[in-house]
Amino acid sequence: MEQPAATGGNALLVLVGLSVLFLLIVALLGAAKAGGSLLSESNLLYVALIFYAGAGALYMGFGVTGVARYVKFASTATAIGLVANTLAVAHRWYLSGRPPFASIYEMLLSFVWAVAALTLVAEKKFGVKIIGSITMPLAVVCVILMQLLPSEVRPLVPALQSTWLHVHVTLAMLSYATCALSCALAMMFLIQDELKTETFLAWTSAMVSAIYVGIVATRFEKWGGLSVTGWDAKNKADIFLGPGMRLFVTVPDLGWLFVLAAAGAIVPLVLYFVGRSKNDESFFGIANKAVFIGILVQIVVVAAFVLRVRDASYPSPDQDGLFPTSLAASPFLLGGMVTGIFASLLYLMLLWRRADLENMLPSADTLDQVTYKTICIAFPLLTGMIAAGAYWANRTWGSYWSWDPKETWAAITWLVYAGYLHMRITRGWRGRRAAYFAILGFGVVIFTFLGVTYLLPGLHAYA
Amino acid sequence: MSSVLSVPKRIYKTLANLRTGIVLLILVVVFSALGTFILQRPATDPDKLAQAYSPTTLRWLDRLMLTDVFHAWWFMTLLTLLSLAIVLVSIDRFPNAWRFYARPYRKTDSHFRGALPNKVELPIRNADEGLNAAERALKKLGWSVERVADKNEPSLYCERHRFSVMAVYVIHASLLLIFCGGIIDGIFGYSGFMALQRGQQVNQIELRTGGKKQLPFSIKCYGAGQENYADGSPKKWWSSLAVVEAGKEIKTKEIVVNDPLVHEGLRFYQASFGPTGKLDGLKVLATPDGGTAREITVRMNEPFDLDANTNVTLAEYIPDFFIRDNQVFKRSDDPVNPAFRLQVKNKTTGEDAKLWLFPAYGETAQGQKTNYSFAYRDMQMGYFTGLEVSHEPGQWLVWAGCLLMGAGLFVAFYMVHMRLWIAAVPDAKGKLVLWIGGQANKNRDRFEQKFNDVVTTIQTELESASPTARPARKEEPELTLAGVK
Repeated sequence: MEQPAATGGNALLVLVGLSVLFLLIVALLGAAKAGGSLLSESNLLYVALIFYAGAGALYMGFGVTGVARYVKFASTATAIGLVANTLAVAHRWYLSGRPPFASIYEMLLSFVWAVAALTLVAEKKFGVKIIGSITMPLAVVCVILMQLLPSEVRPLVPALQSTWLHVHVTLAMLSYATCALSCALAMMFLIQDELKTETFLAWTSAMVSAIYVGIVATRFEKWGGLSVTGWDAKNKADIFLGPGMRLFVTVPDLGWLFVLAAAGAIVPLVLYFVGRSKNDESFFGIANKAVFIGILVQIVVVAAFVLRVRDASYPSPDQDGLFPTSLAASPFLLGGMVTGIFASLLYLMLLWRRADLENMLPSADTLDQVTYKTICIAFPLLTGMIAAGAYWANRTWGSYWSWDPKETWAAITWLVYAGYLHMRITRGWRGRRAAYFAILGFGVVIFTFLGVTYLLPGLHAYA
Repeated sequence: MSSVLSVPKRIYKTLANLRTGIVLLILVVVFSALGTFILQRPATDPDKLAQAYSPTTLRWLDRLMLTDVFHAWWFMTLLTLLSLAIVLVSIDRFPNAWRFYARPYRKTDSHFRGALPNKVELPIRNADEGLNAAERALKKLGWSVERVADKNEPSLYCERHRFSVMAVYVIHASLLLIFCGGIIDGIFGYSGFMALQRGQQVNQIELRTGGKKQLPFSIKCYGAGQENYADGSPKKWWSSLAVVEAGKEIKTKEIVVNDPLVHEGLRFYQASFGPTGKLDGLKVLATPDGGTAREITVRMNEPFDLDANTNVTLAEYIPDFFIRDNQVFKRSDDPVNPAFRLQVKNKTTGEDAKLWLFPAYGETAQGQKTNYSFAYRDMQMGYFTGLEVSHEPGQWLVWAGCLLMGAGLFVAFYMVHMRLWIAAVPDAKGKLVLWIGGQANKNRDRFEQKFNDVVTTIQTELESASPTARPARKEEPELTLAGVK
């Protein structure tokens, strides 16, 4: 693969700096027009988003141009974002008089904070300078999700009025963020461990394919429509037909675009397998070009999705009439799509700048050790989270364990990491297998955190 | 070979194998995940199940017990086998670990010295001087030093946190403790439900598994209620309860969500709260002729003493009334247009006066003449409070297990077993040296720093012990750092 030449590269710094400035000024003007405190939570969160995105852009800019200075600026941007994020948490805490732990929005707020903080710790303490290229996109996806999720400060329902809420959620967010870090470290390890670039290609394409195939499988309607949840703008909530039954509306023709995006992700995957079975490297070159085209398709799809779903009305197959939709009704669809774009961009960064990345990273052995260490921190936190949750459930629901989906998935997460520790300690699993295991572990964590809440019914309905 | 093993021994061998344990663990993970994806009977109502699955699918899911995975015998068997595997693997490995723990390897041999990753040799003049200096240095650094007596090869041994090698057994034991708690609760524990209204006293619960259970005491409810936030969402549910045993009240408590009443191992939780649809009380303003008015609450068929002579009873309540032929009839059960009949009794004369209150048509009561007049203020609907009742005798084992596991994990992950050996031995060229070796069972890079500190301190101590004998040494000690990471 030919690599673009590493330029002096002030251009990107200026560009990112200017866009950060521009967005800040726009935000400032907007806030000034709307009145109210400038240092409100939503403004601060917006600032955090701008700086996290700026940091992400700089990491990616480093990926494209190979200018090492960008990484330093990216780290500074992360730190500024973290300060804004901290202030947002503090403001919300001050307003509600309790820690922000009571809804999925508040937990994401704490989670992003922990992820950003741990990113800086990993940079400074373990010397993994470009860890942010994975954790910052994650932070950006979370903050975008938060922009869409209901964010009002609500009073605590009776079941949540407990000290154990704070213990349980603090431990959960810390352990989840540590798991995110271990996953990022494991990916870095795979880079340093000379895992073939085309293997990354396969994994990236598989992930993006999974996202789009999942969306198409569950949301594709007859004649190429895409079904999304209806949105009740007055009550700021999804429209419900009955308890637990959301009303879906069909956006015409949008489904085809998703099929196209799914195809755009599957093509490189197929090319990879063909190339592997024929032992012909030239297929990987075509696959890389396909990934590039796939990213463009994904961007078009996201743009079309945003334009057509935002503030429009569509018919529903379940009930007569037109029903409004909003991006706020489909936060996780959008989150998944943005994740897909980031994953593909990260792959491009690896493809173009692998040698530079390798120079920036500590040795594979160190990364392997640090991954293990982060899991050694995450696992006791996870244990404490489950124990605190059980004790609290015993005071609220009358039973310390009721096989609720959230509980069960917390236990599954725990067992997966327990498996990792056993394999590592007694079977001497090192390196690649352990890294794959760590990445799988974080996948399970994300499912426990967000997937269970939105896909599976249960008692643990707050978040 | 294997054919020689008897069947129990072979079972033991299979179960006491880490690989079996991992396979069981994977099975538990897979089936628990299935149990969250397939709707489960205890948590879903039958209608929803019938809606979600076709009858054939549902029949098969039921037959395979996949609609109640977490209470299926095969899932229990899996969990039991997993705990058995944990026990047996631990038993299998324990003797070695115990030997290591109980009889630490204090004295080194040349083979061991050669293989150790962290080691340094410092030249010394004689063995005693060297070992004494090392002992002083180590004590300065806070190590407790043991002298290993040997005529030919005197040496020192010290270690820290030896117990941390046993932490893994503590963790597994704690897991078993938790399982035991769960099993005890599965066998001896029960849970159920109890609905109470104000003033009611109940001594039996409806079990989750069906059927009823008699309690050796009864629970009396003095009241229950709901408090709301300004936006109308519930803020608090409470019930004021008392435990009554043999006619005597022995305990009272106002329970709220998150704070149950506990008596004789039974816990009563605030679980639900709702209207009974029945009238609980009627608030009226009672004014005696020529006297001052006061607000009273009268209840169904409970006489309320107005003065020494007179009492009033709420005799009848009609939620939605109409009048025909001067008679009051009921139209519906919705409390939209209520009517109340009050009975005022004069105790001395024995006279009964009948009065009607129709709040929708004016607040004053009308009817037979009495020396009191009544005005409607408010009607209070009855509420029931739903109590979740559970008996979990095994929970203390579970909590003990959790605490033990926390402690075990802390020791296992964060306390490092460090060992140092120091011997006065001849080096490869036959010159007498102070050989210093060290080993840690985890966190090796941190230990390396610690080890270097120890070596530097011993070196300074050696130099201060005989400053004339050893002017600044040119030869640096050979630090072997291989295998550290």
